[in-house]
Amino acid sequence: MIDLTPKNSSGAPPDVSVRLIGIGNAGSNTIDRILLDGLEKAEAMIMNTDQQELTRSVVPNQLQLGSNVTHGLGAGGDPEMGLDAARESVEEIRAAIEDCGMVILSAGLGGGTGSGGAPVVARVAKDAGALVIVFATMPFNFEGRRRRKQAEESLEALRQIADVVICFENDRMGENVSSRAGAHQAFAAADQTISQSVRAVCGLLHKRGLVRIGFDELRSALGTLPAPAVFGFGQAEGENRAHEALEKALKSPLMDRGKLIEKAHNLLVSVSGGPDMTLAEVQVMMDALNRFVGEDTQILFGLQVDGGMGQAMSITILCALSLGGGARQLLRPQEFYTPVPPAAAEISQVETHVTEDLEPAAPEGEASPFYDEPAVDEDVVLPEAVEEPAAPTEPEEPVPAEAPETFFEEEAPSVSNVKKPSETQETLQFEPVNRGRFEKSEPTIVNGEDLDVPTFLRRNVRIK
Amino acid sequence: MAKANFLVGLEIGTSKVCVVVASLRSDGALKIEGVGLAPSRGVRKGEIVDFETAGKCVHDALVDAEDKSNVEIDGVYVAITGSHLASFNNRGIITLPEEQEEIEESDLDDVRAAGREIELPKENAFMHELLQHYYVDGQEGVLNPVGMIGRRLEADFHIIHGIANRIKNSIRCVKEVGVEVEDVVFSGLAAAQVALTRNQKNLGALMIDIGGGTMEFVVYNDGVVKQSGVLAVGGDHITNDISMGLRIPMARAEKLKVDEGSVILGNCLPGDTISLKDDSGFAGKEIERETLNTIVHLRVRETFELLKKTLERANYIDYAGAGIFLTGGGSQIQGIDILAQEIFDIPAQLAKVETMAGPTAAFENPQFAVALGLIRYARENQVDRGGGWLSKISRKVPRLFGGFR
Repeated sequence: MIDLTPKNSSGAPPDVSVRLIGIGNAGSNTIDRILLDGLEKAEAMIMNTDQQELTRSVVPNQLQLGSNVTHGLGAGGDPEMGLDAARESVEEIRAAIEDCGMVILSAGLGGGTGSGGAPVVARVAKDAGALVIVFATMPFNFEGRRRRKQAEESLEALRQIADVVICFENDRMGENVSSRAGAHQAFAAADQTISQSVRAVCGLLHKRGLVRIGFDELRSALGTLPAPAVFGFGQAEGENRAHEALEKALKSPLMDRGKLIEKAHNLLVSVSGGPDMTLAEVQVMMDALNRFVGEDTQILFGLQVDGGMGQAMSITILCALSLGGGARQLLRPQEFYTPVPPAAAEISQVETHVTEDLEPAAPEGEASPFYDEPAVDEDVVLPEAVEEPAAPTEPEEPVPAEAPETFFEEEAPSVSNVKKPSETQETLQFEPVNRGRFEKSEPTIVNGEDLDVPTFLRRNVRIK
Repeated sequence: MAKANFLVGLEIGTSKVCVVVASLRSDGALKIEGVGLAPSRGVRKGEIVDFETAGKCVHDALVDAEDKSNVEIDGVYVAITGSHLASFNNRGIITLPEEQEEIEESDLDDVRAAGREIELPKENAFMHELLQHYYVDGQEGVLNPVGMIGRRLEADFHIIHGIANRIKNSIRCVKEVGVEVEDVVFSGLAAAQVALTRNQKNLGALMIDIGGGTMEFVVYNDGVVKQSGVLAVGGDHITNDISMGLRIPMARAEKLKVDEGSVILGNCLPGDTISLKDDSGFAGKEIERETLNTIVHLRVRETFELLKKTLERANYIDYAGAGIFLTGGGSQIQGIDILAQEIFDIPAQLAKVETMAGPTAAFENPQFAVALGLIRYARENQVDRGGGWLSKISRKVPRLFGGFR
């Protein structure tokens, strides 16, 4: 007989249970937002140190972290305290994510609970055998350098642990909020973007598609490389919905009108629509998208027909910017910045490296005070992981030679992570002024280049 | 004279609206009666962006043409361009019914319909399906299969399609002026009718029409269109580049491009400058000639290189024995043929338009290539829609209005 039970092609088990966890205030807000927007097939939960915030949330499943450490107050923007609090509640966390196939973490980095707690939760989840996807937000620039630094350190720790880290810049997400709009709207816009992408990712992994995208694809599209994620989502109805949906997706705040996609090696595209979606529409959409995509980019394509969509059609674009010039690889934590011969650096292998990476961190003299945290956390949370820190592997530690600490220090606070492909940065800067006569016309984009911008500008030829 | 004997071509270009009125004598010879011109506004990259303004320009040009030719215009052939146009080759196949032995005229229509049986993007409509070759029972290179005995009739078509609404916009723009649209024609195809001779088409040729906002190209092999397309980069881009690079107004940049621009580098002595006169006629800014040429060169080179990449996806360009023929306003830039030759590695020259009766100024200016080509196209289309290479051309306006595809 033919076996009609659906077989799963991806890494996730067939009926993988997904737990959605928001950590800290920002994380809880995001989860609130996601719940309000509606989410199927995932159980949401929030973890916070601040009792007040917990009660304010609409999420039914709640866990208070470190009631002894913080006494029900917040972590006061101190990741140390967040970490301590999370450590105190390790058992509860472990219980909360028990037998979960996948854990999606949402945390706003930079503060106390999010920055300190998220790596702990990620590690616990990882050790429980779950796949871990982290949606992290980096603080707004105006929140100051210290927060930024804390956020980056925490992000790095998360990257070591999680399977996929999708990182959002609050600054970028606030960009399309009108300048007169209140600050709360900027935050709301950020939450909404994350909410959309979380739901999109859940949808990707859960909905049965004509052309299915599995976890493996998601992972190769995003990986855990220290690259900022680019996410775009668009949904439209009506006669021209294919174009409109794509247009909206490209207008998503992280997309930079499609210009950034060209930098991606792997592009994950998921198209879904109601039963009346035609193949021609999908073709139109993909053709239009292809104009933005570089020649070597691999497109991981998924297609779903979803009765719930009605007349609408939606497109989700997700990728991590490629590390073309190697510039992005510089974003390593400082503690790796040790006199070790640069070996073939492969950052994405998480598992074993994590412990090794983190272990030597503590004794490192110049390491930032924050950096021993993950290591300590290791000790406490997962005793078995600590055994591994094999001394022999340590010298192989990937040390991108070009990773000067200064780059990290200077660039990080001011330049948005998402927008960093350094080779083209100049063109991007010029862009708004330099389409001249063609300002209002449809851009002519071939191979990702906007041909309306004078050639000499794009080629960087000096004109006297 | 009967109205039917007048053919009118209308091009709503990015830089100008051009109307050519010609009379068709009974022996098939064309005589140009007059050319109407109006500067174009409201058109960007070959497509109408400001409906009302564009309509006014069309009106002006038509009035001008009526004045010059003393003919009342009531129907025009309209050239269509824009980056939304796309093309591909497709084969239609039909099998003849059992009892029928001979291939009949009606079978040609059937195979044409079969050639069109392909899914276009939803919002697109067919503009042209140009016949390439017939095959009868697998036998290649049949020119006219009518009367032949066969079971299976196949035909290759070159299909040009575009977004229906944008094509309709051009049609509406003309209709609102009170003139009927006889047919819409891809600009590149129209320009090729005058830029290339029959012989050149047979030998194989690449025609590049460099307009104000777009560049059209058509590749002929064996007398039929094998590849065609539009790149939304044209003379305007060069002007814009100059304007930005030298920080001068667009109008002045345009004049500088026309008067002094060249794509040849390394030909100027250092210190060779052009002095720009300001509005009052006094010498103003001095511009290094080499700088100007560099800006123009970079743009033209890039555009040709993009085109080359596109052409290399199919290898029809390898069989362009007659070489490259450049036409359109942009082809007047100095040295552009030399640059084309260098980049494509095929002999390139400026297209010479075959003489027609009428004012010579009309056909000596490559800017009128499209409008003139429309007349040629119209003649072929009117005189004979049956056999020969003329049958390549079919009616499509009814299709555009009554249900697409």
